[in-house]
Amino acid sequence: MQTIQPQMISRLDACKYLRDIFNAQNSKALKKAFDALGSSITISEEELEVTFNRYFVGPMEPVADPFASVYLDNPDVVMSQSTLQVRELYETMGFTYPLKNVIPEDHLGVELDAYYQLLYLEEKKEITYLSELRHYFLHEHMNLWVPRFIEKALRESEHDSKAITFILLQLKSLLIRETTTQGVTA
Amino acid sequence: MSYSKENVESIVNNGLSRRSFLKGLAASGVLSSFPGGILQANEDLNTKIPYLGQKSYQTFRNACPRNCYDTCSIKTYVKDGVMQFIEGAQESTYTRGGCCVKGNSYVKRVYSARRLKYPMMQVGGKGSGNWKRISWDNAIDIIAKKLLEIKKEDGTLLGAALTKYSGNFGITHYGIEGMFNSIGYTTRLAGTPCWPAGIDAQNLDMGDMWCNDPEEMKDSKFIILWGVNPAANSIHSMKYIYEAKKKGAKVVVIDPIFTETASKASQYIQIKTGTDGLLALGMAKIIIEAGLHDQKWLDANSKGYKEYKAYLDKEIKLDDVAKTTGIPLAMIKELALSFAKAKPATIWMGYGMQRHTNGGSMIRAIDAFVAVSGNIGKYAGGARYGHLSTWGFNYAALSQPKPEGSVGYSGPEGAKGEFAQVGGAKAAYTDRFLNINKTARELLNAKEPKVRLLWVACKNVFAQDFDRNQLIRAFQQLDLVVVADQFFNETAKWADIVLPVATQFEEYDVNVSYWHYWLSLNEQAIKPLFEVKSDLEIAAMLSKRMNQLSAGSCTFPQSADTKAMMVKEFNPGIYEQFGIKSWEELKNGPVKAKAVIPYADGKFKTPSGKFEFYSDKALELFGSALPAYLEVRKPYDKFRMTSPHSRWSLHSQFQNLEWMEDVHPEPYVYINPDDAEAKMVKEGDTVAVFNKQGLLRLKAKLTDNVQAGTLLMYEQWYNNNIYNVNELVDDTSSDMGAFKTGAPGVALHDTFVNFRKL
Ligand code: SF4
Repeated sequence: MQTIQPQMISRLDACKYLRDIFNAQNSKALKKAFDALGSSITISEEELEVTFNRYFVGPMEPVADPFASVYLDNPDVVMSQSTLQVRELYETMGFTYPLKNVIPEDHLGVELDAYYQLLYLEEKKEITYLSELRHYFLHEHMNLWVPRFIEKALRESEHDSKAITFILLQLKSLLIRETTTQGVTA
Repeated sequence: MSYSKENVESIVNNGLSRRSFLKGLAASGVLSSFPGGILQANEDLNTKIPYLGQKSYQTFRNACPRNCYDTCSIKTYVKDGVMQFIEGAQESTYTRGGCCVKGNSYVKRVYSARRLKYPMMQVGGKGSGNWKRISWDNAIDIIAKKLLEIKKEDGTLLGAALTKYSGNFGITHYGIEGMFNSIGYTTRLAGTPCWPAGIDAQNLDMGDMWCNDPEEMKDSKFIILWGVNPAANSIHSMKYIYEAKKKGAKVVVIDPIFTETASKASQYIQIKTGTDGLLALGMAKIIIEAGLHDQKWLDANSKGYKEYKAYLDKEIKLDDVAKTTGIPLAMIKELALSFAKAKPATIWMGYGMQRHTNGGSMIRAIDAFVAVSGNIGKYAGGARYGHLSTWGFNYAALSQPKPEGSVGYSGPEGAKGEFAQVGGAKAAYTDRFLNINKTARELLNAKEPKVRLLWVACKNVFAQDFDRNQLIRAFQQLDLVVVADQFFNETAKWADIVLPVATQFEEYDVNVSYWHYWLSLNEQAIKPLFEVKSDLEIAAMLSKRMNQLSAGSCTFPQSADTKAMMVKEFNPGIYEQFGIKSWEELKNGPVKAKAVIPYADGKFKTPSGKFEFYSDKALELFGSALPAYLEVRKPYDKFRMTSPHSRWSLHSQFQNLEWMEDVHPEPYVYINPDDAEAKMVKEGDTVAVFNKQGLLRLKAKLTDNVQAGTLLMYEQWYNNNIYNVNELVDDTSSDMGAFKTGAPGVALHDTFVNFRKL
């Protein structure tokens, strides 16, 4: 059993790099984001991608699908009720989504992107207008499924892939940090 | 502002506060501060509340293209770009507002988490499971370069092979063949695993395969459902059968298996497998002897009746018929005579019956019986098998010219495949044809040049072809295997590149049936998900890249809009046949071809222009001019194995989806209790079923729906289960098929096995 590594990077960066990992479209982008997370694991670009795909992309049945709907609505289907709720939340947050009806809004990479952008507004721009929605999104949506996703994938990765375990533990740590962070600015 | 659930919910749900919230958001400058990622700041916030325009249903016209008799016309309900549900189109009297459970699960198919999402390449070798994402450009580039390399090294493109079958029977899907036509002369896995022996049989007898409108069956007075199970596999046909029965018609099922349909019939006759032809000959003899044959029709419309009758007189002994078929003579007599007395009477022959080494001859014998009874060319009569009479499209996507200077194969010429008979599909090919029913062996044995690239489309080779071990070897020796599919099946597992393809809800197409007479449109109802593309777009991308690399090397259009391509498939003949002026009218709902009774005018497309009991062509090709009795294949093991379609799948499609998995999650072997007892097998035991080809381990279900001496296993593909009934099937040919479809069929049901308890 590995322990969570102490955080070397800021919550904002952790969020960004994790987002980039789950949105990566090729080995290079994936490896870049993975390295940015600060891992000491040596792994080739190709090996990292091949393993990552086996866990989260396909083409075979992935170890854990990175879509909220699969955990909240129906394990076999994407683009269902939770997806549409997230769609509505994004609209209210002020986002437009160019991949609407192409990649479901509740894909982990997209959700991390939303979360990252909201956090960025607060931290860097000191705009707190949307913090309430961010908390809602975190507590009442992401936190309902991401831990289940992590748990499912970890079960396999812990005896199989250090790199994937590292990613999952970083994600877990981010989630814990975010859900326990107090001090919502008024 | 502090976080409170109520507050957020009121923003999300309550029109007023949402509007002021969004207005505030637009005004506050927050939007310009977003750092930007996948999600973009929406400068154009829609503060109109509620979002009526976006949130109501839009409807689209679709059809189910997956090789089912019913080819349902579908109405699709979409909300905010997301498919919500479908229903059968009300306008089609055939579909009449209903689909089967498979069709009703389409939303789950389209949005299945298991769909292929991105083009991917297997980097650790075939079967390694190491997959990398590649861009479409990259995937197409690899394929284009390989094709050009083959052409350069071999001087021809015969090293590139295509295997495509029934995953989508939409007309524009012949664009896949079109893509191969457009690069030069190539290798094709030709023929059909489904129905070739019967197609040949009907063509020999009648010069065509053309059946009456199934909706007429409601007025038939006597219906024999011979080796066909519409209650499971053509549910919409059942209402006509029920209606006829309600009006007093007799409905008889002849089948070796007690099927769902048999349970609904007036009478069920269990026949010994492979003896149907003999029964038909015996029945013909009986009605002729009773003077119930239609001499007038026979004189005017048939050729060789005398020879046929002489054969019956001399060779067919009714006692032998009873003994061989396992049906008491009195029952045979009663059946034959009451059929001949009822007018109109009809027989519907299933595709299972011709999957025997004597399959074609059995269909010929039944055709002959219907002809003798005077029911051919009659309303609500007919020897029904299937038809392609509404398939007269342009095949524009298919018909692509060869690039200049293409070098081909100097072997047999002529377009092959069951649809090659219709429309403008007749190109002067000199492609190389390999038998689709012997895929593994043919790929391994093809020489000069050997096959180096295989493209698989609309087909799950590993679920549908035979001899898995040889198939793996065949795939492994290929330089490049490209599998274009919607799901990751076993074929994809052995591919080098998988390409995710669109469902019919994500592209335009047009569909007709090989059974009923309706024409339906497939409209693009939703955006293609992830990176999926239609087969036509894939072909266009390939064309573009090949031409960039070597100008003039591919003649396929370099950009493809599925709607534009579909429009090109229509012609005045189709409009006339379906009574419409433009394809656009199909947006209002499907339309039906004008009523015609096949052969009512006594004109047959045979060489003699008549119904041919005696066929010179049959003599030349198959050694018997008459539909003479041919004995079925001799057993080579203890039990016969039969592998029909299940209700929950269409060949290997659908079973991998949730709803079907719920009711039918794993394969079973169905065993007669007597056979089970002899082997000490109880319900639920795991057994090994084996023969010279292979071995399968699966659970037993005991039922006397199957005869003693026969085991039944459905053909299917399950998620996470390598079960494939075809592992036990050798690829022995049926007697006919090569005449019209390029290769004989497979005698699937002449497979023999043994089993033991594990
Ligand atoms: S599988 Fe057949 S019955 Fe079911 S929806 Fe498709 S066409 Fe209709």
